[in-house]
Amino acid sequence: MKSRAAAADRRHFDSRGHKGAAQRRERIAARLFTGVLYVCCLVFLLVLGGLAITLLWKSRLSLATFGPEFLWSSEWDPVHGRFGAAPFLYGTMVSSLLALLLAGSIGLLAGVFLAEFAPRRLGAALGAMIELLAAVPSIVYGLWGLFVLAPFVGGWLGPALQAAFGFLPIFQGPIYGVSMLTAALVLSVMIVPTIAAITRDLIAATPMRYREASLALGATRWETIAKVLIPEVRGGIFGACMLALGRALGETIATTMVIGNRPAIAASLLAPGYTVASVIANEFTEATSDLYLSALIELGLILLLISLLVVGIGRLMLRLVVR
Amino acid sequence: MTSVQLDTPPAREAGRSPSAGPAPREKVSIRDLSFYYGSAQALHAVTVPLYDKCVTAFIGPSGCGKSTLLRVLNRIYELYPGQRATGEVLVDGENILRPGLDLNLLRARIGMVFQKPTPFPMSIFDNIAFGIRLYEKLPRSELADRVEGALRRAALWEEVRSKLKQSGQSLSGGQQQRLCIARAIAVEPEILLLDEPASALDPISTQRIEELVAELKSDYCVAIVTHNMQQAARSSDYTAFMYLGRLVEFDETEHIFTRPKEKRTEDYITGRFG
Amino acid sequence: MGVLSIPARRRIASALWTAAAALCACGVAAVLLLVLGYILREGFAALSPSFFVRLPRPVGVPGGGIGNGIVGSAITVAIAALMAFPAGIFVGIYAGVYAHRRLAQGLSFLADVLAGVPSIAIGIYAYILLVIPFRGFSAVSASFALAVLMMPLVIRTTEGALQGVPRELREAATALGATDYRVTGKVLLAAARPGIVTGLLLAVARITGETAPLLFTAFGNQFWEFDPTKPMAELPLQIFTYAISPYRDWHRQAWGGALVLIAAVFLLSLAARLSFRLLRRGAAEP
Repeated sequence: MKSRAAAADRRHFDSRGHKGAAQRRERIAARLFTGVLYVCCLVFLLVLGGLAITLLWKSRLSLATFGPEFLWSSEWDPVHGRFGAAPFLYGTMVSSLLALLLAGSIGLLAGVFLAEFAPRRLGAALGAMIELLAAVPSIVYGLWGLFVLAPFVGGWLGPALQAAFGFLPIFQGPIYGVSMLTAALVLSVMIVPTIAAITRDLIAATPMRYREASLALGATRWETIAKVLIPEVRGGIFGACMLALGRALGETIATTMVIGNRPAIAASLLAPGYTVASVIANEFTEATSDLYLSALIELGLILLLISLLVVGIGRLMLRLVVR
Repeated sequence: MTSVQLDTPPAREAGRSPSAGPAPREKVSIRDLSFYYGSAQALHAVTVPLYDKCVTAFIGPSGCGKSTLLRVLNRIYELYPGQRATGEVLVDGENILRPGLDLNLLRARIGMVFQKPTPFPMSIFDNIAFGIRLYEKLPRSELADRVEGALRRAALWEEVRSKLKQSGQSLSGGQQQRLCIARAIAVEPEILLLDEPASALDPISTQRIEELVAELKSDYCVAIVTHNMQQAARSSDYTAFMYLGRLVEFDETEHIFTRPKEKRTEDYITGRFG
Repeated sequence: MGVLSIPARRRIASALWTAAAALCACGVAAVLLLVLGYILREGFAALSPSFFVRLPRPVGVPGGGIGNGIVGSAITVAIAALMAFPAGIFVGIYAGVYAHRRLAQGLSFLADVLAGVPSIAIGIYAYILLVIPFRGFSAVSASFALAVLMMPLVIRTTEGALQGVPRELREAATALGATDYRVTGKVLLAAARPGIVTGLLLAVARITGETAPLLFTAFGNQFWEFDPTKPMAELPLQIFTYAISPYRDWHRQAWGGALVLIAAVFLLSLAARLSFRLLRRGAAEP
């Protein structure tokens, strides 16, 4: 063992006299490390800020030309340079909300089953499959939607719905395979894993004593879930739905392949539509005039702001629940 | 092994009692120390000394502030927001609570061992060398000597000498804890803080740790927090009894366990509460 | 019926709802099998050794391949990873190590929000930043877009892995007198490594299938191209082009491409899981 003479050097806690060189190097390295951390944080913030600023800057021409009218004008006429976002906003909203309705109810039930009823092995297997479902690229869903789901909707599901609910305007008119309904179905497949997985985790994390208390009062297991557990985590489930909605709103490729890409507002879900993301995808490289490009970028900006809002709310809710 | 019953005070060999030798030097003076977790006060104006080359045990029911006190001495609590200490802690006369103090140097001088063994995810050798390398640039052979010395000191060398390259996390719980003690003393600190070092261990490992503590006090100023009164009685020279964030009684261990002055101390050590 | 038994109506309702829940869970899993089944069936028919190495051929000429798309995607994704990993890991370290600071919490939240931004908007961003000024589509601009998509994933992964390290480990290292730099570099990162590596691989898997931001950045290319400053073929873009074309043979190739793409994505996910187990075991045992 080394003598403890070194201790004499350390009478004071300041740097003087104590193993100078090694310690100085250590301190420089520590400072460098902190510096790199801050620089990277700054880079991240710049990237993030740059996103909003560049889109805003590049859409200034369109913003100045059309003003707020852009939002409710349904004219989309590149030849005469008149642009309005209404049909796209309508298509995005309707397809996404419909998808959320479907995926929300199915995902909620699936998540509950995985958390409360599934035997361990089955739960793990189904859970893994649902996670895989989330990992499938959207181009693959688009392909599947275009070649499998669209013929199914056009040849079977559409006619069936029309026969059963033809009195409703949303199921009237000619039936297309590529339609708002097909897009909503594909989107719901894409977002259902998010809702199911988060619901499962939220329910599984509720304290056992809630279950015990409710069951002890004579409630059935299902009543316990519906009246105690789900209300307990409803904030989180709402957050999950917002995240899923955000993904549906911004989804581009799959929607583009199955929605039919017709810039018109139709009452029927069996008719083609168009979304904000799809029109950008289809026309961006073809935009010949500055105004055309600027209008497309403004569409991107609108999409960005909507999804920032929706996802922001969703994330906030989930963070509040976790605390 | 000397087995000590709760109700019979420890029989000490004459030479071990600090009152028999020359008066020990006061290494650390804790004065009027209060501690806050946010707005909750965990320590109330505690004043207590730690003597050099002695073991001071802190006992008391859980939540009495004994671990908190230890965590003030190397200011490890500063990792967390909202925790703060007021008062004075003098080490060799210098207040370590003052702002602007180099915390890394402070901590290099004060070793700490935690309740749960905390081997780093690296080899046994690197675990010990981690602290040494922070402040000293040593040639390879000298570093190896230091590592060996620390492991010998912690009575672990014979068990690990052939597997220094293995992960520290592959050792048993008791070995891991001795590894952590070796790691702490490898830096050659002056003060050693042990926060319930044996509470997660089996009786045999516990005994080895206790023997080690008794061995280490010839070089260090040792403070040990324990909820095990027999352990305090066996291995310490001084004992501080704390309750609800206050120091109730501080004295030589022998006195505390044979004729406590305070009723609450007596109640606690005889198992009437806590 | 005794007072203590649950009325039949309530019992039946509960049983029905439970059955519905089971049906939904199995239904979701069935959709996966349905999609995968189709891809396998249609995709395998299009596969042949030459499919992986040949260039695309014009309509009507049989035997085209997706070789340039595979290579292009690999190059683009690799460059994206090079851009996103360092910055993302460091931001993640900051967010994980100083988790109680306002800035760290803000960054973590912003990363979460950025992860939800539509990829098409990020494609526009890359177009404005890197395509317009350099007067041309390029693989690098696509890599930038993919890197922006990856960054939040890398940040949150690193942050989460660091926060999963037991706080005792950090206290022990700090108590030895180590600076945050040493504590992080030697102890926390070593302990968090399995989680971080897994997260990085999952981030790569996640962006490998991205298509929308490539449309007006990498743009696509009929030929071999290895220069990242030039327009480059990308596998997802090829699938898209083939799928929306009116030709049967191209549809077939789209299925083949989709099978290759999904295989790559799943293999990366699998590698992520395996590496987690391997690294964890490596850390716990000699």
